[in-house]
Amino acid sequence: MGIFGGNKTPKNDWSAMSTVIKAEAKLQALGEITPSRRAGVIYRNDESNSFQRDIKIELNDVLYSGEGSTKTAFEIEDDDRGMRWIVLEDGNFSDLVSTVYTVGNAIGMNDGADGLLAAVFELYFTGTVEDNTYRSGLRTYWIYRYDRKAFYPFVPTGENEGERDRPAEARLGQDLRKHGLAVEKSLTEWMGLWGIPF
Amino acid sequence: MTSTSTRKFHKDRGLVTRMYFTMFMLGFLYAVFALFLMAAGMQLMFIGGIVGIMVVVQYYMSDKLILRSTGAKEVTAEQEPALHKMVKQLADRYEMPMPKIAVIETAIPNAFATGRNPQNALVAVTTGIQQRLNERELQAVIGHELAHVANRDMRVLAVANFLVTVTSFLMTMLFWNMLFGGMGGRRNNNGGGVMMVYLVTIIVYFIGQLLVLALTRYREYGADHTGAEICGDPGALADALEKISGTVNNIPDKDLRKLQTANAFLIIPAALKGEGSMNLFSTHPPLEERVKRLRELEQRMRYGLR
Repeated sequence: MGIFGGNKTPKNDWSAMSTVIKAEAKLQALGEITPSRRAGVIYRNDESNSFQRDIKIELNDVLYSGEGSTKTAFEIEDDDRGMRWIVLEDGNFSDLVSTVYTVGNAIGMNDGADGLLAAVFELYFTGTVEDNTYRSGLRTYWIYRYDRKAFYPFVPTGENEGERDRPAEARLGQDLRKHGLAVEKSLTEWMGLWGIPF
Repeated sequence: MTSTSTRKFHKDRGLVTRMYFTMFMLGFLYAVFALFLMAAGMQLMFIGGIVGIMVVVQYYMSDKLILRSTGAKEVTAEQEPALHKMVKQLADRYEMPMPKIAVIETAIPNAFATGRNPQNALVAVTTGIQQRLNERELQAVIGHELAHVANRDMRVLAVANFLVTVTSFLMTMLFWNMLFGGMGGRRNNNGGGVMMVYLVTIIVYFIGQLLVLALTRYREYGADHTGAEICGDPGALADALEKISGTVNNIPDKDLRKLQTANAFLIIPAALKGEGSMNLFSTHPPLEERVKRLRELEQRMRYGLR
């Protein structure tokens, strides 16, 4: 981004994921977004991986004992598709983001990179969407896909696959992009996650 | 944002190369075909003459023909002051004279430009697109249409279409010729020859059609690019395209967890992306791809890269 015309697209997870901090702050200042305290990391659980087998102990280590640790609370939840959620809670949004990054990074560094699916943030949206209908305090998820290194909004309207608020997602996607978030360019990649445990 | 109001547009080099290659292939195809026809004893001048007149009429009358066939009504500055002002500003940036402006009364969002050169250009928008887009997006759409005029796309496609039309004309004639053995009873001594010429014509027609479609798509990307440079806001056209095409429906039903399992076995589909056979038949490039390119251009422009 400098005068040498370097990175036009973020190459690593942190530079992509951290765009969410600024975008969130701007939208919150505009009164469009309120963060919840929750976020999560979802990955394909692999019992043959020792780090993942002892995930609770390992994360306690990573999140509580390290220097500059954010002391973010976490919980572990398994879903019925062989996926494991690390659910994190922190009142400070930028702490929450860096913890999410840290958790994903720790899993990735310990031979789990291929199984990392997504990081998910929960936020509330208020505003008018594309078809001129108004949403107030709508629960939205901002999904970060590790394989695409990009975000997209996800607004489920039910528990079943395919039930989502597309006009709200499209509107939010435009706004987020405008405010500097690394948004997934291809809409067909905006895959949902139904049954998020937070 | 830095000023972009220079006349020289930054060209997408890969695109320009592909475009010229396609045009070259098209020219080559028809040159060979003409030689073949002459060798087979066909009277080229006659067919070329008829089609030529048709194309010239279309070329010079295109604005009037289109006004008539679409029900577009030309509007004055008094009738549509905002639209007039917007078009005027854009035309100034392209350094072209003020084009005629027309409005089509329909809810379907659309816009087009026509005219053989900037002096005879016409821009038309539907009332549907006026209602649906905001000012920034409408400006991007008109910028795209004026780019077609500035890039002389009508002329390029008129020539390309001329050749394809000649072939299709010839195909029809040969077909009736074979059925009824017209043209002075040459059927008996030349039956096999006509069949041969007919088959070659069909093949040339098919290849020519594909090349013209490819060329059209390249011109479309080109207009996206030029328009974005002129407006300085590639994201605006991307937003507009998404809004009017209902691409919201491209947001999938699928759960992300399913992808992970399926993806391990999908090696070929990724390789098949791009110029797949589906794309060959569509005049406009896939919208997703256009939007993606515009978003990339937006990023490059935002960070001052070229």
